[in-house]
This record gives sequence, structure tokens and C-alpha cells, in this order.
Amino acid sequence: MAKQLRELNFEFKAETPKDFPAGFLHYGVVGSGDMEVIIEKKAMSGAVKFKVVTPVTGFDEVWRRVLERFVNETGISNASLEINDCNATPVVVSLRLRQALAEIG
Amino acid sequence: MSNKWDTLQSQSFLECNARQRAVGLVDAGTFTEFIGPKDRMSSPHLPLMGEAIEFDDGIVTGVGLIGKRPVFVASQEGRFIGGAVGEVHGAKLVNIVRIARESYDKMLAANPKLPEGKRPAVVISFDTGGVRLHEANAGLLAHAELMDQFQDCKGKVPVISVIGSRVGCFGGMGFVAAATDVIIMSPLGRLGLTGPEVIEQEMGKDEFDASDRGMVYRTTGGKHKYIMGDCNVLVADSIEAFRKALGEVLAKPYADLAAMRRIGSLEKVQYQLKLVDLCVKIAPKDSKDVWKYAGNKNPDALVDMPLDLFLKTAERLKIA
Amino acid sequence: MKETKKWDTRKTDYQERMNGAAQYIRNGKVVAPGDTIKVLEAVIRPFDRVNIEGNNQKQADFLANCLVKCDTQRIHDLHMVQSAVPLPVHLDMFDVGIAKKLDFAFGGPMAARVATAIKEGKLELGAIHTYLELFARYFVDLTPRVSLICAYEGDANGNLYTGFNTEDTPVIAEATKFRQGIVIAQVNKLVDKVTRVDIPGGWVDMVIESPKPFFLEPLFTRDPGGITDTQVLMAMMAIKGIYAEYGIKRLNHGLGFNTAAIELLLPTYGEELGLKGKICTEWALNPHPTLIPAIESGWVKSIHCFGGELGMQRYCEARGDVFFLGPEGTMRSNRCFSQMAGHYSVDMFIGGTLQIDKYGNSSTATANRVAGFGGAPNMGCDAKGRRHSTEAWLKCGAEFVSQDEYLGTMPRGKRLVVQMVETFGEKMAPAFVNELDACKLAKNAKLPLPPVMIYSDDLTHILTEEGIAFLNKCRGLEERMAAIRGVAGLTEVGLAAKPAETRLLREKGIIKTVDDLGIDVSRANRSLLAAKNIRELVDWSGGLYDPPARFRNW
Repeated sequence: MAKQLRELNFEFKAETPKDFPAGFLHYGVVGSGDMEVIIEKKAMSGAVKFKVVTPVTGFDEVWRRVLERFVNETGISNASLEINDCNATPVVVSLRLRQALAEIG
Repeated sequence: MSNKWDTLQSQSFLECNARQRAVGLVDAGTFTEFIGPKDRMSSPHLPLMGEAIEFDDGIVTGVGLIGKRPVFVASQEGRFIGGAVGEVHGAKLVNIVRIARESYDKMLAANPKLPEGKRPAVVISFDTGGVRLHEANAGLLAHAELMDQFQDCKGKVPVISVIGSRVGCFGGMGFVAAATDVIIMSPLGRLGLTGPEVIEQEMGKDEFDASDRGMVYRTTGGKHKYIMGDCNVLVADSIEAFRKALGEVLAKPYADLAAMRRIGSLEKVQYQLKLVDLCVKIAPKDSKDVWKYAGNKNPDALVDMPLDLFLKTAERLKIA
Repeated sequence: MKETKKWDTRKTDYQERMNGAAQYIRNGKVVAPGDTIKVLEAVIRPFDRVNIEGNNQKQADFLANCLVKCDTQRIHDLHMVQSAVPLPVHLDMFDVGIAKKLDFAFGGPMAARVATAIKEGKLELGAIHTYLELFARYFVDLTPRVSLICAYEGDANGNLYTGFNTEDTPVIAEATKFRQGIVIAQVNKLVDKVTRVDIPGGWVDMVIESPKPFFLEPLFTRDPGGITDTQVLMAMMAIKGIYAEYGIKRLNHGLGFNTAAIELLLPTYGEELGLKGKICTEWALNPHPTLIPAIESGWVKSIHCFGGELGMQRYCEARGDVFFLGPEGTMRSNRCFSQMAGHYSVDMFIGGTLQIDKYGNSSTATANRVAGFGGAPNMGCDAKGRRHSTEAWLKCGAEFVSQDEYLGTMPRGKRLVVQMVETFGEKMAPAFVNELDACKLAKNAKLPLPPVMIYSDDLTHILTEEGIAFLNKCRGLEERMAAIRGVAGLTEVGLAAKPAETRLLREKGIIKTVDDLGIDVSRANRSLLAAKNIRELVDWSGGLYDPPARFRNW
């Protein structure tokens, strides 16, 4: 049996939270080495929830750190983020998440 | 790069993703997506094989306006598994054509005198290598269903192909594109059946050297397809150029568009067979041999020629 | 009785060897291609030092393919001294026993076979050099006895036209000939009169018209279609954070997509920052196709080239104000001179690498690949003999705080040596490691020391997506290591960073992040590139650039 796609879940709270201003946002293309994200406003008493769907194994801790830093740097809160990943490196993940947020601005 | 219509117009069509093409090809602010990422209708098969999924399964479908025509758009994403057609992807593609035709039936039933300029049309932006091998049965079925839909569209809804994205349009989707009414390409677009690497693998490097990209484009690229008549309109590599060409094509009467088809009548099939005979007769070693036969005295010069000059200079193949 | 000492044994030996080949030499210095193997067997002796011309671009491949077919009874255990071993035949030579020892500079695609051959005892490695270093040794202790070179044209008197791809030929021919060695040239075409005399006929003993033109690798062609948004972001950081900051006018770019992205951002992002004329005016650089838009937009004053690049010849000839052309109008590259220019006359080297260790040493070697260095270390180092000054060099030197530990209060400049890497490369391979794979390679291939491309004491800046580390501003190894950790992201090195420490380095201006540099990440995408594919480069060049078939996208 071939390996299955994996789902990782994380939850963070920003140090200085800012509410996610839009209701729904989609950004990115699941190309090789790339990812897409859906960001949705969700009342979660300041928290942010991530669901990452990825074929990659062995980098769960790297994911956690990349996402946690994104939350702290942007202050994003009360939002749910769903990521479809296709072997994106940490730099691509950070870049796409920040570019997604910039789409609203 | 943002999805704003204004910014998209000057962008390279080749560079744009499926959604940007869908938004940019119709009039400003008119595109509405059907079954978009929000619906999260991704492939049920890929996760079991450990393959990445996409919320829209690699295809953007929806409707917009070009002038007063409702234009139903399907736009494939070549970056997601090579734009390959899986079950969901295929179903979205088949059904956008079906909805266009059903809309046509309803609109004409309500108003039999509805002017042509207000009747629905279909635009498919291809960026695909054909069937998705991971869900091949469903993908193949979608090809057949799409052909059926095209048959039902005949006499009613014009179906236009636009090809100018990175993957091109290959495999079964090459057949599908050939069965549409009009094909619009850029010189960077490619159209064919068997992909270059597969030809090389089956026939050997002497027959077809897939690493010779110049030759690959000379055989499958927009310029060659334009000379051969497979491509009806050749445009520059920008969203705006494709959109304008679509506008001009869709301003023509349906009968003119039907006349631009490659197949669909006995005469057209006979013409295609004559092309096969010609190929046997002149046994071309390179596309340039055919270009020469078509009346281009200096075929080498056409290869690198800027588009404007090419359109003025190139002789297109005509056989009696 | 006093014995008369002979002072011309080399000359006698030369004559004896040439006598053996005389029957095959006709019409001046011409040898028929079919006689090549016999000629080589006549003039080469076992254990000879032999050079086969070839670098990362052009290759004397016909002569190499003949040499490997020679009778191993007659020719064996050669000591190959040559710039590069990028062709399979270069390693076949060791497999069949024609060659035994190797001194070289660049392994290229054969890097893995070099390592295997060493391990299997088929290849005895002298040393891995830089190009300039190897050329230097041609004039000291590694002078070739026989050299097999290549040229575009040759005449019956031995005059050669090496033209656009002159590259290593002059240095090889001079070192060999002036020690009474034998120089054999394969030429693409025998002509009555060569376009230009690049190598005088007197230095060449035999000319052979090869059945096929010599092999050329378009190594420095990067298709803009392959540049990622991340590379665009890092290119923006480089231009704003380093080029503009120091006013870098004279420079070299290593090969790769990162530097290609910088070249393609000059006419867009660079223009927007008002940097035209202030940066990137003089170059020691191969004719990178990706530099065409910047040249066409008037950014570039001059470029001297190590080698030629396939498809760029006509373009270079049409831009005589920029490139080095002969009186007859064709460009002459010269690896030796250009490396010298890159060593002494540029203010910055920027390039990529595979790995950087926690101290800042970097290497492209992996545990099982002897990749070699090529020219990078000569440009990626502080030229200690340099005495002239420029603003950029002085500024980098003024910031180099550790200098006073050796010089007291005496001011001195410093070359900028910048490594540009994403923290994770392909397949999530980390760019920052505690120990370089080069150390494992040294053990596996029994090398006397790990092959390091750029040593930390020469490195002044590291640029990653996380930020720029200004290593020149660090005092002592501890601070340098902290700065490296601070831009090493989530690699094992980066994970050791302490947030408080990194914050302090940002306050001191030793680390600058994207935000510190005031760069808008949402603009970091391919639409910022002046050309997005090869076709657009051709358009920029007005049709003068003629890319190799494999790069065409129309």
C-alpha cells in the first residue's frame, strides 16, 4: 500500500493579535514545490487554526515553527487556515502565506 | 501576482495561472466561479496514493461576459499534476459545457429571436497533458463525455479553445481541442496528441529528439499549427491579446465559426485525409519542409520571426 | 675530466617524439583525422603529463576520444593535468588505464565518477584546484608534456582561431610549447587563412580537422522560465540590501537561478530604485543571456568573459562597446585573464553553494561527489594583493571590525564575498549544516583536506530568504556564528539560534530581514522579471541571441 496523504493540525495564538479582516480568501497553486491556502474568518477567541494536507513526512516540527512564526509576525487571529501542500520548502510556505495576506490589503 | 482584471491584461498568458486566465479572458469584473476552492471539491483518489490535492482539482470553471454573450469558461491548471484530467476535474469540464448548452436551450425557448450576440458560448483554456494516470478510467470517460457535449452543442453553442500555457494541450485533450469550433493559440502554445517525450521513447531519438525544444515547438507550436490550419487565430502572449481575439471571434455569426472547424462534416474529414496523403507524398523531415510546400520560400526565417511580421509573411497550407 | 652537461634534453626528446609522428604529418602541420590515434601513440609516452583542453564550456572531445582508444601497452599511467573532466571519456581514460593521476579544477557532471575512481584505486588525485591556481602550476611543477587543444579554425602552418571560445587555449599552449612540449590541435575547420591568429602557428605542432565541431556546453544559460518567486524575493533583497548599500559597480556573478534573477531585476526593480549607473557597470562574467535586458537598458559599460556562451556570439559582436572584440570584430574570451580580473578587479562576488557550515565555510561537494571549484574561490575570496581602492571595497573594509586585530589602526578595504542560498534546497536538503559533507568526502575519497569552496574568513555576507547576515560587521567567531544562525531558518544550524540574540543582531544592523530592508513581499513574483522566458531574451536582443535548441520555447 502506497503512503497516504497526511493531515497536520496546529493551533496558535499570536503574541499581539490582529483580527483577520476578510471573510474568505484563497491564494496559490499546488504546483510542484508550491502550495495553496484558504483563509477564513472564524471566532476562536483569538486563536488561529491550521490544517495542512501534505505528502511530506518527517517535517512536522518544521511546519509547526513556520506557521507559528507566521502567526506571531502577522498577528493573525480568529482565522482558520487550510493548506494543500506539494513539497513546498519553508521559504515558499512563508512567502505564500504573507502574499495571501497582502492580497487583502 | 494579483488576480485583479486591470493588472492581468498586460500579463504574459504563459505566466498566468488558471484562475487568472479565467478572470482575465472575459470582460472586467464579470467572472463568477462555479465550484471554486471554497467548495473544496478535490480529488477523492489522490489522497489514497499520497499525492497532493488542490481545492479546485486543477480546473477553474465559471461564467463571465464578453460583450453581451454569457461565456462559460473552463481553465486548466498545468502546474497541478500537469493539468491532468481526473474525475472531479473532468466532471467540472464536462458540466460547464453542458450548462452552457442547457442555458442556450432555456434562453432560446424563452426568446427564440435572441440575437446571436447574446447567446452562450464556451471557452476552454487548455493547459494539460491529458488523462490523469492516477484516476485514468474517470479521466478517459470525461474525454468521451466532453466529445458528446460538443456534439450536443453543434448548431447552438460555439466552443472556442485557447492554448498558450506552459504544458500546452496534449494527450486525449489534443483530440478534444481539435473537435472544438475555433482554436486560438500564441506562438508559445503547443498542441498535439502524443507528448514529445513519449514519441521519443516509442520511436527513438532519431525520429524525434524531445530534448531539441526548437524542433518540438516547430512541430507542435502555435506557428506551425497556424500554417497547418489547426490553429485558426494566432495571437501575442498576453491575456489582453487572447481576450481581444476571443471578442473578435465571438462577434462572428455562428455559421462562420462552424466553418472554422477541422472536423465535423464529410468535406472536412476528406480534407484531413488529403493532408495525410500529402504527408506521405512529401515525407517531411521537419515542419519547415511543409512550410516550404505551403509556399514559404524561406521557412528558416519564420522560426524566429516576430509575430506581427510572421502574420504578414507566412503562407498557410492550402490543398485543393 | 669534466663531463659536458647537456642542457637541451627536452629539445632532443621533443625531436625524437616528433620524428615518430613525422610520417603522418603532411602539407605543413596537417594530420588526417584517421591518423590521430597513431600520432598520439607516437608522441605520448607512459607517465607523461598530458593536458586535454576542456573546461566547463568547450571540449577537445575528438582528441580525448582518440586518446582513450590508444594501445594501453604503449600509453598508460598518464598524469592528466586539465581544467575539467566533464565528459565520460575523461573518466574512461582512468578505467582503461591510459591515465592514472589527475590534477584538475572542475568535475561537473562526472563528479560522482571521480569519487568512485579514487575509491577504486583507478585514479590517483593530485589536487583539486581553482582554474587560476592550476594555470599557475602549469608554469611551475605541472607543465604538460603534450597538450591536446581545440579551435574553430586552423591553417596548415598551425595558426589557430579560437575566437569567441578562446578560454583556456592560450595558457595551455604557452606553458606547453615554451617547455618544448608538443601541442596538437583539433579544429572545426581547416582554412587557408584564419579569421584571426589567436595562437601563433609556431606554438602548434599538428592540426587535425575533427569530424564534428568541438563540444560546447551552454552552462551559463539559465531559462528565466525556471526562476521562482522565492528567487525573485532574494534578488530584491540582494539589490536593495547589498548592491545599493555598497554601490557595487564591478562584480562577478556565479552561475545559477539566483543571480540570473538579479540580472533580470536590474531593468525593473533596480531602475525603480534609481540605481542605473550606480551599480553593476563593469563585469568579469561569461556572456549570460539573462544579462541582455540590463545591457540593452544601458546598465552595463563593460564585460570581460572567461568563455563564450553558446548562442551569444552574434549578440556580443553587435555590442562592441560592452564586450572585448578583436580588430576583425569577433569576441575573444580568455579564462586566465578574466579569472585574474575576477580576482583583483571586482568588488563583489556573489554566488550560490550547496552547503554552508555553522562557521560559514561553504562547499558544493557531497559525500560521494568530487565537484571541484572552477573559478569561484578566486573571486570568492579577498584578494590579499589588492592595493587599489573603490568606494565599495573601502566601505566593506571599514565595516570589517576584526581587521584591527591584525592591522591595528591601519585602514584596509575588503572584497564583498556573498553567498546566496535558500535555507532548504531541493527535496528539503538543508543549506546550513553543522558539518559539511565535504568532510565525509575527504574521508571517503582519501583527500588530504575537505574541499572547501569558500572559507569563512573570506565570506562577508550570507543572504537567505530569512535575511542578510553582515558577517563583516561581526567581531569574533562567536558573533559570526550567531549571525549565521540568525539567517539559517529552520535548519539544524538555524534552530540553535536564540531569539534574543538574533534581535540584538538586528538592532546592530548585523542581520537585516526582509522587513528591515523595507521590501514588499507581495511584489516578489515573476512578473517583476524583465524577461520571463528565453523568447523574451531573444526579443530583447533584437533577434541577435540565438539560443541552443534545447532552450527554445517557441
